Amino acid sequence: MDLVKTFGGWIQDLSPRRPETARRLLLAGYRAQRMAFSVAPDRALPPSKRYVAGVVMDVVIRALARPESAAMVSLFTPCEPLFVAGVTPFSVETLSGYLMATRCEKAFLERTADEGVPETMCSFHRTFLGAAEAGLMPKPKFIVYTSLACDGNMLTFPYLQRKYDIPAFFIDVPYEKNEEAVAYVAGRLREMTAFVEGVTGRPVTEEALREAVGRSRRAAESYRDYLACQKERRLAGDVTSEMYSVFTSHILLGTKEAETYNKMLLEDIRKAPKSGAFRLLWLHVIPYMQEPVRTRLNFSDRAFICACDLVYESMIPMDETRPYESMARRMVHSGCNGGADGRIEQAIATAGLTGADGAVVFAHWGCKGTLGAAQLMKNALEGRGLPTLILDGDACDPSNTSDGQVATRLDAFLEMLEEARR
Amino acid sequence: MIRYVCKYTPIELFAGFGAECAVLDDIPENFDLSDGVAHANLCGFGKSVIEAVLAGEVDELVLVNCCDTMRRVYDVVRNSEACRFLHLIDLPHDGGCGRESFARELLRLKAACAAYTRREFDRKAFAAAFSPPSPAVEPYVGILGVRAGREMEAMMRDGLALPVRNLTCIGNRAVAAPGASPENGKDETALFMEYAGALLSQLPCRRMNDTTGRKQLYNDPNLRGIVYHTIKFCDYYGFEYAEIKSGLSVPILRLETDYTLQSRGQLRTRIEAFSETLSGLGGRERIRMNKTGKYYVAGIDSGSASTDVVILDNDRNVMASIVIPTGGGAQSSAEKSLAEALDLAGMERGAISRIVATGYGREHIRSGGESITEISCHARGAHFLNPGVRTVIDIGGQDSKVIRIDETGAVRNFVMNGKCAAGTGRFLEMMARTLGLSLKEMSERGLSWKEDVVISSMCTVFAESEVVSLVAQNRAVPDIIHGLNNSVAAKVAALVGRLGLEGDFIITGGVAKNKGVVHAIEGKLGIKLYVCDEAQICGALGAALFALD
Repeated sequence: MDLVKTFGGWIQDLSPRRPETARRLLLAGYRAQRMAFSVAPDRALPPSKRYVAGVVMDVVIRALARPESAAMVSLFTPCEPLFVAGVTPFSVETLSGYLMATRCEKAFLERTADEGVPETMCSFHRTFLGAAEAGLMPKPKFIVYTSLACDGNMLTFPYLQRKYDIPAFFIDVPYEKNEEAVAYVAGRLREMTAFVEGVTGRPVTEEALREAVGRSRRAAESYRDYLACQKERRLAGDVTSEMYSVFTSHILLGTKEAETYNKMLLEDIRKAPKSGAFRLLWLHVIPYMQEPVRTRLNFSDRAFICACDLVYESMIPMDETRPYESMARRMVHSGCNGGADGRIEQAIATAGLTGADGAVVFAHWGCKGTLGAAQLMKNALEGRGLPTLILDGDACDPSNTSDGQVATRLDAFLEMLEEARR
Repeated sequence: MIRYVCKYTPIELFAGFGAECAVLDDIPENFDLSDGVAHANLCGFGKSVIEAVLAGEVDELVLVNCCDTMRRVYDVVRNSEACRFLHLIDLPHDGGCGRESFARELLRLKAACAAYTRREFDRKAFAAAFSPPSPAVEPYVGILGVRAGREMEAMMRDGLALPVRNLTCIGNRAVAAPGASPENGKDETALFMEYAGALLSQLPCRRMNDTTGRKQLYNDPNLRGIVYHTIKFCDYYGFEYAEIKSGLSVPILRLETDYTLQSRGQLRTRIEAFSETLSGLGGRERIRMNKTGKYYVAGIDSGSASTDVVILDNDRNVMASIVIPTGGGAQSSAEKSLAEALDLAGMERGAISRIVATGYGREHIRSGGESITEISCHARGAHFLNPGVRTVIDIGGQDSKVIRIDETGAVRNFVMNGKCAAGTGRFLEMMARTLGLSLKEMSERGLSWKEDVVISSMCTVFAESEVVSLVAQNRAVPDIIHGLNNSVAAKVAALVGRLGLEGDFIITGGVAKNKGVVHAIEGKLGIKLYVCDEAQICGALGAALFALD
C-alpha cells in the first residue's frame, strides 16, 4: 500500500466536508514525518540535506498550527523584518509543494476549476487558492507580496486579502535595474517594516534587522562558495533538497537556520568525492515529485543538478549596515526582474562557476515569464556552448504533464551530452 | 505608424511629435512565426504581437509591461531586431505610489521619440490630441475582459441585437487633459506629473493592484448584458470572471479564445445564443405559424457527430425521429436524415410546413426554414421532456454545455467547454478507440469497475498515453473506463460549478446513453440526472417545437 497516497486520499475526502478535521489530520501527518526526520533520517543524504528537510517542514507545521503568528508572502518577499517580529512566513510554493507531495493537490485544483479560475494559471497558485477555498488553509495574520517574478501574485494575494479580510502590504518592483529603483523599493521596505510592527505590535529595531541581513549575507557567501565547489565535487542528494534550497534562499533568508544550512552545505561538499557526473544547471522550479526526474537525478552518478536559478538568483552581495537597501537590491537585481537578459547573464555566470555541462529550462505550465524566455535562454546558452533542453511540464499538477514525455526528453538529453563527451 | 497595445500608453505624446499611432489588435490566422521563436503556451495576444512583427506588418512598436507575457514579448521582439522603433513602458502596479516613477517613464519615452523622429515636442499638438470620453446613454451590451480584436468585436456587433460597447482592457481609454491649457505655462516636469496622474487615474485594468474601481463597469444602469472575453493563458481576466460571475444583475457570456478565429462557428453560436437569452431569440421577428387543421413541422440538429431529425404534428406528437452520423457535409447529412425521417413517418417532403435547423451546421442547411442555436433548442426540448428541469447538461461530440433554464424553458444562462476535447464525446470516442472498444461496449463495461483508477491527464493526447500505459500495467479495462468517466465528470462538474447547482437536472446529447458517465456525474455532483430515451434528439426536438410557434 502506498501510505502517502492513502493519506492524501483521506485529506482529499475530508477537505470538502470537514476542513478543520482535514487540517488537523494533515498537521498530525506532517508532525509524524517531522519526527521521522529526527529519529530516522534518510541516511543516504548528507547532514546538510537532512537538516534542511526538517527546517522547511517546521515552517509548514508552524503556518498550519499557529496561523495567528504566520504571514502569507510571495516567494520573493524579503522576510527579515518578519523574523525580527517573530512571524513565520509561508509562500504559495511552500504550502502547495507540500500538498502536492502529500498527493492531495487534485482536490484543491478541482476546487479552483469549479470556481472558474483559469486552468492555465500556475498550479502552485491554483492549489493554494483551492486549499484556501476549501477551508484547509487557516487565516493568517497578514499578507505581504510583491509584483516580482510572477503575475500569479497579483491575483492570488489581493483575492485572499479580500477573502480573509486581513491587512496586506504590496511592494511594486520597478522593471529597470538602477539605483533609483533600489531607493524606491528600500523606501517601500521601510514602510513594510512599519506595517509589520503595526500589525504585530512588536518592534523591529534597526539593530535586529541588521543582524538578520547579516545572516542573509553570510548565507549568500557560503552558498556561492558551495556553488564553486560543484565544479569538482558532487554532494549526494535528491531534487527535493534542491527545492528546499529555493525556500531557504528566499522566505527563510535571514534566519539562523538558512545560514546554518548553507554553511553545512559548504562543509559537506568540501568532504564530498570528486565526480565526473554531468552537471545540470536547472532554470526555474523543479518537478521534484515527478518519477522520471527523481529516478534520473536523485543520488545519480550519471547527472545531478549543480545549481538552480531560483536559488542562486538571490545570493547577491549584501551590506548589513544598509539593511533596507540590501533587501531592495536583492529584489531589483533579481534575475527574475526586468528583461530575460538579466536571467540569462546570471545563468551564464553560474554555469561557468559550477562547470555545468548542460542546462534544463523547465517550462512550468502557466509560468509565462519562463515560457516566454525559454527559447531566448536556450539560444543564448547554446551560443555559449552549453547544450540546453527546454523541458515542458508542471511541477504541481500531474494532469498537465506526461511521465513518458519527460523521461524521453531527459534521457535523450543525457545521451546527447554523453555523445558529445566521447 | 506606431502601434501600441495598452490603454495606459501615452498616445497624446506621439501626437506631440506628429507621429500617427493605432492599436495593434489584428487577429492572426495562426501563430506559425511566433511558435518558431517563443513558447506555444503564451497568451494568444502576446503571440499575435510577435507574429505581426515577424510578418513585417509592424516596425514601430510601443509596449507596456502589462504582464509576464508582454515582458517576454518585448524580449523576443527586441531579439528579432525587426522593429525600427521599439520601446517598453514600465507601468506601475499601484497607481498613487507610482505616479512619480511613471512620469519619469513618460519623459524617457518622450526622449526616445524625440531621438527617433528628430522632431521637437509640440505642446499644442499634444494638447489637441486629448478627446473627451463618450458616456453611455442607451442600453448596451458591454464587451469586458481582455481585448477581443477587431474581427471578433465585429462579430459581436453583428450577432447581438443591442448596441455594443468595447470596455475591454484596451477599449475604455479615457484620459483627462492635464490642466486647463497644457500647451503653455507649466514646466515640463509638472506637466508630465499631471499627465502621468491622468493616465493612471483611468478605470483600472485588471493587472493593477487595486481594482475596486472596476465595479462601476458592472453597475452601469444602461448595461444589459456582458460578453466577457478571456484569452487562454491570460489569467488576469479569467480570474476576474471567476470572481464576478455570480454577483451580477445582468446576464453574462464568457467567451474564451486563443486569439485566433479558428473556431468562428463555435463563437457565432455562443454570441447568437446569448442574444437569444438577452432579448428572446435576439429580438428577431419570427413569423408566427398561421395554420389550422393538421400540419407537421421538422427540427434538424446538425451536430459534429450526428445529424438528428424530429418530425412533430401540430399537437406536439412525435411522428418520427432519426439519428444518423454526420458525414459528407451538413447539407447532405441533413437531406439524408430528413428523407429517412419522412420515410419512417410515411410522409412526403411537401407535408412539412416548416423546418427549423440547429447545431453547428445550421447555417449551411438550405431547408427554407430558419436557424436557432442549439442552446435555445436544447433548453426548449429539455423543458418539453421534463418541465421541472432547471439545468441541462448536454454532452455532444465536440461540445459540452450546461444551460440554466427557467420555468418556461427560456435560457437564463449557459456555459460551454473551450476548444479542448476533454469532457466531450470526442474524448470518450478516442479513448474507446485506444482501448479497442465500441462506445456501447465502453458504456457497459465501465459499470463493472472494482478499483479506483485516476486518469490525471485532462489533455486528450496525454490521457491517451496514460491509458496505453495502464493497459500495459494490466489494469482491468472496466477500472480504466471508470477513471475516464470520472475525468469527463470532473470537466462537466466544473462547468456546472460555474452556474451553480439548481435542480432538476437532465442530461442530453449522445453521451447520455453512457451509463458509466451518467453515474460518474451523479456521484461527482451529488445529484440525480433525468435520463430519457429522447436525450440524443433533444436539440432537434427543441428546433421542431420552435417551428410550431
